[in-house]
Amino acid sequence: MKPFISNHSQQEEEIVLWRAMLGGDMQGYEALINRTYDLLFHYGGKFSRDRELVKDCIQDVYLEVWEKRNALSSDIPPKAYLLASLRRRMHRVSARHRMDCMDYYNEADIVFEAEFDAEYRLIQLEEDRLLASRMTRMLNDLPKRQKEAVFLKFYNNMERDEIALIMDIHPQSVSNLLQEAFKCIKSQWKAIITAVMLLCFSA
Amino acid sequence: MDRYRNFSLDEWVWDAAFRNWVLNPTREDDEAWQNWLAANPDKINLVERARQLVSAIRPENAPIQSQEKRIAIDDIVSRLENRTLPEREIRPWFAGPWTRVAAMLLLMLGLGWGFLLRSGNHQVNYEQLVAAAGDDMLEKANNTSRPLTISLEDGSQVTLDPGSKMGYPAHFKKGKREVFLSGKAFFDITKDPSRPFFVYANELVTKVLGTSFTVRSFTNEKEVSVAVKTGKVAVFSREDPSARQKQGSRELTGVVIEPNQQIVFVRETVKITKSIVPQPEIVEQNALAYHFEFDEAPVSTVFSTLQRAYGIDIIYDKNIMDDCPITARLTDMSLYEQLDLVCKAVGASYELIDGRILIEGKGCKSN
Repeated sequence: MKPFISNHSQQEEEIVLWRAMLGGDMQGYEALINRTYDLLFHYGGKFSRDRELVKDCIQDVYLEVWEKRNALSSDIPPKAYLLASLRRRMHRVSARHRMDCMDYYNEADIVFEAEFDAEYRLIQLEEDRLLASRMTRMLNDLPKRQKEAVFLKFYNNMERDEIALIMDIHPQSVSNLLQEAFKCIKSQWKAIITAVMLLCFSA
Repeated sequence: MDRYRNFSLDEWVWDAAFRNWVLNPTREDDEAWQNWLAANPDKINLVERARQLVSAIRPENAPIQSQEKRIAIDDIVSRLENRTLPEREIRPWFAGPWTRVAAMLLLMLGLGWGFLLRSGNHQVNYEQLVAAAGDDMLEKANNTSRPLTISLEDGSQVTLDPGSKMGYPAHFKKGKREVFLSGKAFFDITKDPSRPFFVYANELVTKVLGTSFTVRSFTNEKEVSVAVKTGKVAVFSREDPSARQKQGSRELTGVVIEPNQQIVFVRETVKITKSIVPQPEIVEQNALAYHFEFDEAPVSTVFSTLQRAYGIDIIYDKNIMDDCPITARLTDMSLYEQLDLVCKAVGASYELIDGRILIEGKGCKSN
């Protein structure tokens, strides 16, 4: 039994739309935007809190894709390509913005800022709520680049090579980032479980 | 799949395929997982805990409303259609010197165009249009207090409202049928794709192949409007730089409006907006086929029935709305009364945006 066809079929649909767009099909293009807009908006929001700025950047990304459609390959993974363009653009724009207000600017200033949060009403067991609060803190404490890789992999279902394309790093570096994040998650998990058990017993 | 047999809670929580099912469920996926759970009932508890954890712990996302998204997307697409707008930004990394020169020329052309329009009198009226059209023009004016119907040589019928007049040639030219309107008229046009029919009304051009619609353009009024009853109509402004091309093309380009939609052109600002006519009518030929009675039907069925009956796009989240059953009798009501009632029943609301109806609601799934 192979239960994981859905991810592929979801991707497949984007690839079909991507190819339609490359062929100049405006409706396919609009459908592609419709499917991917939320993803871009959420990702872009991690680099700036200014909604209008994020929307402007997204607009530029889509317009550029359309303009360059004759030069683009039909084999590019659409979502990853769009996210990669958005990331580059957000960096450029915030760099320009910072240059205007500061004397110097530092590449490291422009970073992925994600806060994880738990919605406790979705969790029934008290011990799982404790677990969730610990996990959330642990995720928030991850170094920024690890956090970004985790965000793309575990919350947006991106493959290693896609993450490499988006973050503009070597695929091996992606593996390393995820491994480090995971080492941390695994070791903390044990501690958390023990702590949660203790708390539950003492309560 | 059976590697899942011995998964611990944290292995579940971080498994990619499992997460994808929880975060982006699809029908096939759902089926596969439900089957697995049915075969492994002892795991149901553990999987449920993992599912709760996965769906509860998420990155904070500033939500984007579907309306805001719709507007942003329409904005992107409209920029593609208005290619003649001045370049917004010159991108240095692939803009070679020639691209820059071309962009400058375009910009200057654009500025020149705007200047010409502003310096001249860019509002045109019926008299100027008719004068420009040539000599063999006939004119019918309705000075009575009742509508006046005129038959044209191609079999089309025009009903002029009181106080309105229309200029038209004794014989239509080869390849196009053109008339000029001052005031308000209802057009019922005979289909002839080889000869599109044009209505010139002040600054607005309406192009159709064969349909019925109303144009309202009194010279002293600030707005010009076109509302469609059947078929499709394309509307564009005379000032549109690509108006000539839009007129020439075999297809309907420009702002296309469909039954129960209308466009309003504000003469002062040269702005065209699309909306829904005040009293939408059922467009289907066999109107009697719609009885609008629903018994425990998913609310999405109700919306799709209304959409077909009125020919107006109704946008809603099918996944959410499928869970809402509704029992209602919507006969003998206007579209807006029907929408009010349905939305109230399922705790949703609707908005009219750009000639479409947008439904927003949380659905009826209880947690």
